[in-house]
Amino acid sequence: MRHDTWLDALAGELRRHGVAAETAGNVLAETAAHLWESGDDPLRAFGPPQAYAATVADSVRLEPPPRRAPGGPVRLEVLGITKRYGRRTVLREVNLTVRAGEVAAVVGANGSGKSTFLGICAGLVSPDRGEVRVHGALGYCPQGGGTSDFLVPDEHFLLVGAGRGMSRAGARDSGRAGAAALDWDPRGGTQARHLSGGTRQKLNLVMAGLGDPDVLLLDEPYQGFDQGSYLDFWQQVRRWRDVGKAIVVVTHLLNTRDGVDIVLDLTPRSEVRA
Amino acid sequence: MELERRSQWLRGVLDLCVLGVLAHRESYGYELIQSLHVAGLDGIQGGTLYPVLLRLQRGGQVAAHWREGGSGPARKYYRITPEGAETLRRSAADWEAFAGGVSAILREVAAR
Amino acid sequence: MRKTLVVAEMALREIARRRGVLAILLIFPLAFYLSRRDSHAGQSIRFVCLGIGWAMSTAALFAGSAARAVEPRLRLSGYRSGHLYLGRLAALWTVGLLLSAPYYVLIRIDQEHIRYGAIGLIMLLTVAVAAPFGLALSAALPRELEGMLVLLIVVGLQMMMDPASSASRLLPFWFSREIGTYAVDHTDGGYLTRGVIHAMVCLAALLAVVAVASGYRLRQRSHLRFVARR
Repeated sequence: MRHDTWLDALAGELRRHGVAAETAGNVLAETAAHLWESGDDPLRAFGPPQAYAATVADSVRLEPPPRRAPGGPVRLEVLGITKRYGRRTVLREVNLTVRAGEVAAVVGANGSGKSTFLGICAGLVSPDRGEVRVHGALGYCPQGGGTSDFLVPDEHFLLVGAGRGMSRAGARDSGRAGAAALDWDPRGGTQARHLSGGTRQKLNLVMAGLGDPDVLLLDEPYQGFDQGSYLDFWQQVRRWRDVGKAIVVVTHLLNTRDGVDIVLDLTPRSEVRA
Repeated sequence: MELERRSQWLRGVLDLCVLGVLAHRESYGYELIQSLHVAGLDGIQGGTLYPVLLRLQRGGQVAAHWREGGSGPARKYYRITPEGAETLRRSAADWEAFAGGVSAILREVAAR
Repeated sequence: MRKTLVVAEMALREIARRRGVLAILLIFPLAFYLSRRDSHAGQSIRFVCLGIGWAMSTAALFAGSAARAVEPRLRLSGYRSGHLYLGRLAALWTVGLLLSAPYYVLIRIDQEHIRYGAIGLIMLLTVAVAAPFGLALSAALPRELEGMLVLLIVVGLQMMMDPASSASRLLPFWFSREIGTYAVDHTDGGYLTRGVIHAMVCLAALLAVVAVASGYRLRQRSHLRFVARR
């Protein structure tokens, strides 16, 4: 593999793993100098860029991760949510409080009501009991759907942006910036129905974050993402968290490195095995 | 030599060997690999060495600075810090004790 | 106002890209017209107007159904249900008027001794009523297929039922026959008046259905409360 291709790939992977720009720059310079001097083949000397970047990220990360300061003002309050479908109680007295700058993960087996819970928080489904209070504006990303088949990504941005009171140019730029964070270039006028499943979900995710909502509800939004995009997604979640948003992610893949502050397990208690 | 076991051993001692080499004089990555090779640890790849250097730097055992290369790109030189020297001294003593025990057991086998 | 305009703009872009829908809008009324061209003048005019009404309702039905996926999230983004259905109606009406214009010209050229003004009025009212009719069907019925079936039934009844019977006044396009009689047979103004009143009533009723159905579907649920952020 040619040096510069490998080095470019390494640069991208380091960014994905959240390595600080200056550190990444140093690593790249040192690696390039080594390759220049030794004449080694990068794949033989360092391995595939993805794996090496992961190793570097691990070596560079300070451990343990510093205990984050207690969160800011409360942004989402969920109190006593109960939901029944016929005789089946899907959610029973569920509570959740998420503050600004916190990430909550909602986990549970299939059918434990994760999507229903998020739908209730978003105001799309009515519970039988309980209440939800949102401090600020709300953004929601469903597991699928939520896009308009015959419109192109830019038009989606304009549509959501106008609702949030953004100018046309502002909405378009904001949408494109959000897409870039997920390694996607939305220009090119492809209608949503012609986008691949993973790309369509990226559009969904960008739309959810458009206009800077204070609370973000994300229902397993990474359907169809490749491994790199999955890392990008959690990077974006961390970025949102760092600017003070409250984020709730429904997921059944939870990695302890993802920096989640609260875990809400919706598995019915009777099914939890000791 | 069995690769799997060798890489396990290496994982345990490479940082100490690097500190040992740097205790003599400061050095940079590629030069370190050559020094280790001369000392008897050959076949160390860049992908193995540089993360170790990063960890040592993060832990304060070594400090680094850049220096212009004469005919080529700039090089990142590492030198051992007082903390690193202390770690090296203690670990060297620990290693003597540890390796001594292992050698005693295995020497019998080699002799048979 | 701006929100409604943005919705209308996007709805127009959507329709413009749906070649199938555009083909229906353009060709169906023509097919209807040509099928009765050789008989009494009133028949062909009656049929073309019915064709416009049916094509327009179909387009509105598809547009409304397609919008359902996005509307909840648009609601969360700051739109009210009024912005959404009014914007969509504005787009549909625009498209309807643009596509009716050639048919008006066709009738002007092809037919004689007709009150052309009244024909223009029929087309205007047909477009006006057809758009909310299609949207109302998409709002009330879960799938496009059921909406299409209802449309077929309505158009079929419209063609078969005797316009003099009082039951036929329940059909949304009854006014088209009534004003058509005024235009072709040069009858008294009563036909015109009755037709216009019927159209207005249908328009009001269908708009109400759309407003109520949209408002209900996108309602702010009582369990969720927004509090001003600190």
